[in-house]
Amino acid sequence: MAEPIVKYNKVTKYFDDLQVLDEIDFEIQPGEKVALIGPSGSGKTTFARLLMMLEEITDGTIEVEGEYLWHEKDDKGNLKPASSEHQRKVRSNIGMVFQHFHLFPHMTVLQNIIEAPVTVQGRDKKEATKAGKDMLDKVGLLDKADAYPAQLSGGQKQRVAIARALVMQPKVLIFDEPTSALDPELVGEVLEVIKSIADEGEASMLLITHEMDFAKEVADRIAFFDGGKIVEDGPPSDILYNPQSERLKDFLERFMNTQ
Amino acid sequence: MTFWEIIVSMLGQGLFTTIVTTILAAILALVLGFAGGLMRLSNNRFVRFIVAIYVEVFRGTSLLVQLFWIYFVLPMFGITMSALTAAVLAIGLNYGAYTSEVVRSGIQSVDKGQTEASIALNFTPAQRMRRIIIPQAFIIMLPNLGNQLIELFKSTSLVALITLTDLTYQANVLNASTLQTTEIYTALLVLYFLIAWPLTKGIQILERKLTEGRM
Ligand SMILES: Nc1ncnc2c1ncn2[C@@H]1O[C@H](COP(=O)(O)OP(=O)(O)OP(=O)(O)O)[C@@H](O)[C@H]1O
Ligand SMILES: [Mg+2]
Repeated sequence: MAEPIVKYNKVTKYFDDLQVLDEIDFEIQPGEKVALIGPSGSGKTTFARLLMMLEEITDGTIEVEGEYLWHEKDDKGNLKPASSEHQRKVRSNIGMVFQHFHLFPHMTVLQNIIEAPVTVQGRDKKEATKAGKDMLDKVGLLDKADAYPAQLSGGQKQRVAIARALVMQPKVLIFDEPTSALDPELVGEVLEVIKSIADEGEASMLLITHEMDFAKEVADRIAFFDGGKIVEDGPPSDILYNPQSERLKDFLERFMNTQ
Repeated sequence: MTFWEIIVSMLGQGLFTTIVTTILAAILALVLGFAGGLMRLSNNRFVRFIVAIYVEVFRGTSLLVQLFWIYFVLPMFGITMSALTAAVLAIGLNYGAYTSEVVRSGIQSVDKGQTEASIALNFTPAQRMRRIIIPQAFIIMLPNLGNQLIELFKSTSLVALITLTDLTYQANVLNASTLQTTEIYTALLVLYFLIAWPLTKGIQILERKLTEGRM
């Protein structure tokens, strides 16, 4: 088997006294699409935000392409907290799409997309503009290039946010409930875009979702979170149709009832 | 003297001094305000502490006393400066303290999601401030900054008390020689208003321009 692109080793996370993640081991293979499901408060978001470096890790390590994300080796080979240069270098492999989009309101759609390629990656502005427009075309919003985010619907905003993340060419793309802030009639267009990148993209995906049908369709694997642990992890058909643990059975049952 | 002659006689040196003092002090206040506001948000406790002291000292004492102190007391410690320099320094330091609070709260009121999106796109902290946070914070701050600019402009009338020949100083001189008190101070009122009003309007227009269709 190839080297995993992401590897969590005994990752533990506390918020003050509250333990949210409990010594989690987890791997994502290159190109693999993994969905995270689980009850509210089970730690899915925290788990993903540690990989994006939006929360501080309490204990354990995360590796991206064999390099530590939160740590560096010192001269003697011991782990020490990573410098900000090291963090940025490793983090450059990761991208994220948020529930609430977080587009830059003071920039047009196209500026939103090419800002980071130009400022952060130092890419040529012409090249970035072309790549940005290609990306906008891919999410079906080329005609909105000069609009401001405030002029877009929620679904359109999220498609722009996806294009903005993709143009950075991340090797791992995190989606944290990308459709749960949307009006129901706008969910479909966003799921469709995510599906098309999943189908054609070489990027790995970590997808937190409450859309079970979608998870089944897109994911190669589903991991079920509960109580700060990954309780079950396997192919969608096993997880959804042949749950082993009581907790997953309960979760799926409750989920079906609310549908 | 007619009302018109009074206005014209104040327009020369007096108007010039008032405007120059306003512009220089405003630049100083803006620079100090941004530096102070950013330092107030630093991770370094010592840096935050230094700015806190600056802000408290200059907010907790009156501008007039600060002006006197800089112009009349500092020379006793061997630091002498022209009346204009003292005026710009006192007003700039005083308004800089207030401005740093405006800048700090403006930056803090930008949605945290903007910072998170910037981290996810791998911006450095400096790039994030410059390209994402400050442009948005600036729009939030603009009404407050505008008010402060007007206040600062009006406060320059105090510099007459350290013998700087601004509008107010000229009015005082004119009053002493002609005793046309009503006309002179009415003219002074009108002149201050005629400068402050377009400033207010200008800032409103800028605000509208910057937010049009975006926020
Ligand atoms: N910044 C924080 N400070 C303190 N506690 C937090 C913080 N963020 C999350 N938590 C807590 O950590 C636990 C896990 O939260 P998390 O958001 O990771 O769950 P989740 O699985 O994503 O839930 P949901 O499905 O509702 O999004 C919750 O109990 C939450 O209250
Ligand atoms: Mg969550």
